[in-house]
Order: sequence, then structure tokens, then C-alpha cells
Amino acid sequence: MTAPTSTKPAPARNRWSRLVWLVPAAILVLAAVVLAAKGLRELPAVQSFLTAYPGESELPHGAPVGFPAWLGWQHFLNSLLILLIIRSGWQVRTTTRPPAYFTRNNTGPIKTRGKPAKISLHLWFHLSLDALWVLNGAVFYVLLFATGQWMRIVPTNWDVFPHAASAALQYASLNWPVENGWANYNSLQVLAYFTTVFIAAPLAIITGLRMSGAWPKDAGRLNRAYPIELARAIHLPVMFYFTAFIIVHITLVLATGALRNLNHMYAARDDTGWAGFAIFAASLAVMTAAWILAKPIFLRPIASLTGKVTR
Amino acid sequence: MKIVVLVKQVPDTYEDRKLDTAAGLVDRGACEPVLDEINERALEVALRYRDGNKGTEVVLLSMGPEGTASALRKGLSMGADVAVHVLDSALSGADLGRTAAVLAAALRATGFDLVIAGNASTDGGGGVVPAMVAEHLGLPHLTFLDAVEISAGTVAGVRATEHGSLGVHALLPAVISVTERSAEARFPNFKGILKAKKKPLQVLSLAEIGLDPAFAGAGRSAVVTAAERPARTGGTRITDEGTAGEQLADFLASARLI
Repeated sequence: MTAPTSTKPAPARNRWSRLVWLVPAAILVLAAVVLAAKGLRELPAVQSFLTAYPGESELPHGAPVGFPAWLGWQHFLNSLLILLIIRSGWQVRTTTRPPAYFTRNNTGPIKTRGKPAKISLHLWFHLSLDALWVLNGAVFYVLLFATGQWMRIVPTNWDVFPHAASAALQYASLNWPVENGWANYNSLQVLAYFTTVFIAAPLAIITGLRMSGAWPKDAGRLNRAYPIELARAIHLPVMFYFTAFIIVHITLVLATGALRNLNHMYAARDDTGWAGFAIFAASLAVMTAAWILAKPIFLRPIASLTGKVTR
Repeated sequence: MKIVVLVKQVPDTYEDRKLDTAAGLVDRGACEPVLDEINERALEVALRYRDGNKGTEVVLLSMGPEGTASALRKGLSMGADVAVHVLDSALSGADLGRTAAVLAAALRATGFDLVIAGNASTDGGGGVVPAMVAEHLGLPHLTFLDAVEISAGTVAGVRATEHGSLGVHALLPAVISVTERSAEARFPNFKGILKAKKKPLQVLSLAEIGLDPAFAGAGRSAVVTAAERPARTGGTRITDEGTAGEQLADFLASARLI
């Protein structure tokens, strides 16, 4: 009888050991940024720049003040969907053994000439959420441009950049800009929201579409001009952008007058009551429930409505 | 009608399965134990008949160690009515012959009209237990069925042969074994999982199915030595310098493949 031979590789270095220098390095970088920003603000030239560009680009004439109720709904649906999209997308990427597979019934409203491909249940969930998210986004775009709310998040003047630089400097020096989000965002916010709504979201859709089964496989010239590898290389970083945006966004919402900010977005009012917070808390409860219930056992019956769920 | 489905808990084939080389037995801790997939299909065959025929009882029967209950619960959550677990310390390391004798005794104890088994387990891969059980019970046996048709007094099916297919049928009671072409197993749904917790799971010892632990009649085989399969060696790499074709041909010839 032969003794079992060990095939384990030599123990790797402790994976946490890098934290020993990463954490102090991060603190040092943060301190350096804050000190540099504070130092800069002492310079007369910078001070006059801050006076000339306080951080808010003036809105076009006729821009609406405040937020309508539909924006609250749109925002909530969007946050719920993006949460589940990011999670299911990550599952598509990391799962090597899907819990089930889905094959669309090629009958009913969506009928294609080709045979529907068998996809994992995770991918089915991701794509279904995507469809809802795109629908929600389309409604959002229409309402945004129909009501003039677009002026709040689309820069209309080049001075948005010096204003944004000014706001960034104010954040970095820990002397944060005080804007009134009900009337106008600071320019850094405008750029961040514009990037998210009009650059990141379309990028996520067009790259996701390229990777999906809906994209024509035989479109030779189109597919050479826009290879799937390019879409893959962009789709994931876009997700990282969304995640980073969400973290920073929530942090700043809560750190710059949470009750008032939550009232703006969730209760369509400009005061410091608890209504917005209550709706926000309820929306968190819905998101948590959706997160917990998004399991194969509950997804399978839903998926079975439009297709065949198999092993 | 009472249909008994023979099931077995096996190490998940998706992971690296291990043999305890000292004991010569499966290392059950090495990877997740699951209900063998072929048994899920066998159960599906039974459940499909029950779906169309009220008054049918589907019983799961398994012989195995403690943890087997989880595999039985899985089968119950798919829709089986009752589970029977033959558990006895005297059964550790049972070979095919001993397993079949125990299952046959258990079947006599539970009673049945039809016994459905998978054609072979994914761990042992013997593929003879159903035939041995049928022999013990003195019943007709239809093996390796790709399709099954159950009716009131008979069971019929199709089995593939080297040159085509064979339609076979037998009067009940009978024992059949099915292949993975027989049926696509259903998923347990939420209601099924909740209901499974309340369904009866009967644990029987050898004495309770009327067998003396030292029962005679079955010679026992035991593993004498076991060794881990040696790691694969790297293959031969051929770089094409104009003679790759010849090298390939030489390689195939030396391996007696052409």
C-alpha cells in the first residue's frame, strides 16, 4: 500500500500580510492629500480662484427647483434593480456550477428564428433585471427631458470644470462645499451624476448587449469593428464604477445632512422631517428582502413562466 | 400501486472524490454527499406515474450510513411520500452482494408492486445491484430502460442495444433499472421542501427487516489494498519544424493507436 502523497503546494504567504503596509500607506496618502489641499487653500491665487468659482455652476434660466415625486420612484426602482444586477452579474462571472439552466420558450410575444440558447439561471436573472432596468431608464430619460429636470445633471456651461475642481479642493481640504441640492448641485456632483446617467449606464447596456445572446452572431463586419472581447473588457470596469459611485454617493448623502437629502429624493420635499428617512428605510427593507429571496428556489418558478428550467 | 425507488447517497461527482486508501472505502468527508443523479431520474419516473394515477405511493429505500437521511429528504422534497433507511453498523463496507441481499430483505418488509433503480451509481459504478435484487426476490427484471411505461398490471420500456433498441415488458411485480435518458428530474419546489420535513422517514436495523447481521448466503468481498492514482505526467510536446506530421504518426504508432 502506498502512502498518499501530498499534492498541496508550499503554503503561500499569508494573504493578509500585505495589509501591514497597505493600511499605513493609505492613511499616509490620505493625510498627504488633505495637507496638500489645506496648504493650497492658503495660497492667495487659490483663494481668489475659490471666490471666482465657489463650486456651483449656474443653472440655465428656467431650470426647475426641487424634485417631483416620479423622480423618487425612478430612483428607488433604479437602486433596487442595480443592486440585484450587480449581484447577479457577479454570480454569472464567478459561478462555475449554476444551480439550474433556463431555455426560453420560443412561443408567445418573443419569437426568434434561431433556437433559444440554454443559459444559466443566474444569467436569466441578470438579463431579466437588465430588461427592467433599461425600461426604467427609458422612462427616466423621457421624464427627465420632458420636465426640464435634465438641466440639473447635464452641464450646460464649460465653467462646470473649474467649479468642479473647486468643489474637489474643498472636499479634499475637509472644508466641504455647502450646496443646496434642492436648487442646484455642486459641479462635482453634476459631473458624477452626468457620468453615471449618460456615460456609465449606456456603456453598461451596449457592452452587455454585445455579450448577450440577442446580439447577431453572423454580423461579420460589425463584429470585427466591435469585438466581444472589447465589450467584456469594458463591462466589468463599468460595474466597478457603479459600485464605487454608489459607495461614495450614499456616504455623502448621509454625511451632508442626511434627513434633508433623504427628504429631497424620497419624499419630494425640502425640510428636515423624517418622512424621507422613513421611505428610505422601507426601500432598504424591500432591497434586503429582494436580496434574500433572489434564490434559485424562488427564481425557478418565475423563470418557468417563460421558459424551461432544467439542470 | 406502491412503487419503491432504490436510492443511494454518493459523493458529488463535481468535486474531487477521494478514497480512504487505508480502509479502502470512500472518504465520505472529502466532498459533499448528494442524492445520486440517476436516482433522481428513477424517482422522476415514479413521480410521473403518480402524477397521473391517484392512489399511487412512492417510497424511497436506501441503505447507508447516518448522513443518508439528507439524501432521502431531498427525494421527499421532490415528491416521494415515504422514505425507508436501512441503517446498521454491521453494514459498514458492504459489497454489492451484501447490499443487494439487504435491499431485497427490506423490500420484502416494505412491500411493493414495482421497484425502480438507477442503472449504476456514480461512486461504485457496479450496475448489478438491481439485477441481484430481482434475483433475490425471484422477480422479472428489465434493465437499462431509456423509456418506461407503467400501467396497472405491467411495466414496459425501451432499452438500447448495440444494433438498435428493444421493446421489453413484464408483469408486475417487477424490478426495473433506468438510464439517464429515462427522465429529466424535477426540482424540489418551496412547498415540497417544507412538506418533506413532515413526511415519514423510517429507520430500520437489520433485525427489523428480518436479517441476522451475520446472515449467510452472501460471500463478502473486502478491499485488500488501495492506492491513489498517480498524478498525470506531462504529455509529449511536438513543435512543428516541418516534421510534425511524421512525429505525430510515430507517436501514435508507438502507442499502438494506428
